[in-house]
Amino acid sequence: MTKLLTVSPARCIGCRTCEVACAFRHLEDGVPGRSRVQVRAVGRDVWVPLLCLQCEEAACVKACPVFALWRSSTTGAIDVQPERCVRCNACVPACPFGNMSVESADKAVIKCDVCGGDPACARFCPTRALEYIEV
Amino acid sequence: MLNLDVNGRRVTVPKASTLLSAIRAAGFDVPTLCHHEAVEPYGACRLCVVEVRERGRSKTRVVTACNYPARAGLQVETESEAVLETRREVLDLLLARCPGSEVIRGLAAEAGLHRSSFPPDRNRDDCILCGLCVRICEKLGFSAIGMAGRGAHREVAAPLKEAPPDCVGCGSCARVCPTDNISLVDRDGMRSIWGRDFELVRCASCGRAYITREYQASRVEGSGLPAEHFELCDECSRARLAKTMFAHMALGPDAREEASDD
Ligand code: FES
Repeated sequence: MTKLLTVSPARCIGCRTCEVACAFRHLEDGVPGRSRVQVRAVGRDVWVPLLCLQCEEAACVKACPVFALWRSSTTGAIDVQPERCVRCNACVPACPFGNMSVESADKAVIKCDVCGGDPACARFCPTRALEYIEV
Repeated sequence: MLNLDVNGRRVTVPKASTLLSAIRAAGFDVPTLCHHEAVEPYGACRLCVVEVRERGRSKTRVVTACNYPARAGLQVETESEAVLETRREVLDLLLARCPGSEVIRGLAAEAGLHRSSFPPDRNRDDCILCGLCVRICEKLGFSAIGMAGRGAHREVAAPLKEAPPDCVGCGSCARVCPTDNISLVDRDGMRSIWGRDFELVRCASCGRAYITREYQASRVEGSGLPAEHFELCDECSRARLAKTMFAHMALGPDAREEASDD
């Protein structure tokens, strides 16, 4: 069964718990990482949590000159292979949804990896605006 | 698949793995400087030394893990006396060559070395001649820089030691350099590297600069993606996505239910 991380913006209350959960799940040397999910206000009291859509024909994968991005056979998500990334950052503007990020210039790019199959954002979302469900 | 022992721990790795990946698969690690997964192993820095005993042999050897094949029945030690001694010797030499490099100094200190037993070379930069920048540049298809000179005069340089005409300013060389020896400066929408100045493309919406025009053109061609893909920065692309989703939400709760039902 494939599981998908789904977004239901109508349920989002803008609490940003997902951002904190993501940052702490991606701890490195005890320092929270940059969140892979970002909540944006799009109107008065209207929020949208944004994260990687794990596109079929992913632009990030095409933009990478060294094949440092590929789809995980276990989660179906597109994973960055940090040891292969040469930090050219071509994938960052290439993603039409802005879901590739640079955490620091001398580190590999980062993106949502659905936490290897147990996404922290969905687990901690109090309103099920983010859900990890079977499809 | 094949089995080998790392520090007494059994590990199974695919055939054609390197010793380094077997060591990491077993949950251990060795320091590396010239190794990068995007390019073929090269064995230049000699820091990844380990001690191995082949199946059926009594003698052990010290080899570089990054370019040594993982073989069935191999017994590997990553922290033996011989390994620590060899690693210290390698660091002693690196420290004499690059006494100013923080990375080298840190690795040497970990090995218990605070100053080199050789006279330090104070006139040199922090290049350890590992060639990683050259190999990455070649891998990306530009080959703008290369190795020049021989012996003590060997160095990384562009043809004729001039500003490299084939460089597109992608900056990968500077960012993979293990000793941070390649200068890359982004300022006022321009990138300076290897004695050349490149114009950085600005995000069509917010004006933030992020990639050189030359590298953008090269990736448009190499990826087959339409050029518009590279026009917005990640922030502005996200803002656009948020708007699209908002427009979808604005269809009203009934339409939303229907949309989420299918
Ligand atoms: S990492 Fe093996 S020789 Fe440099």
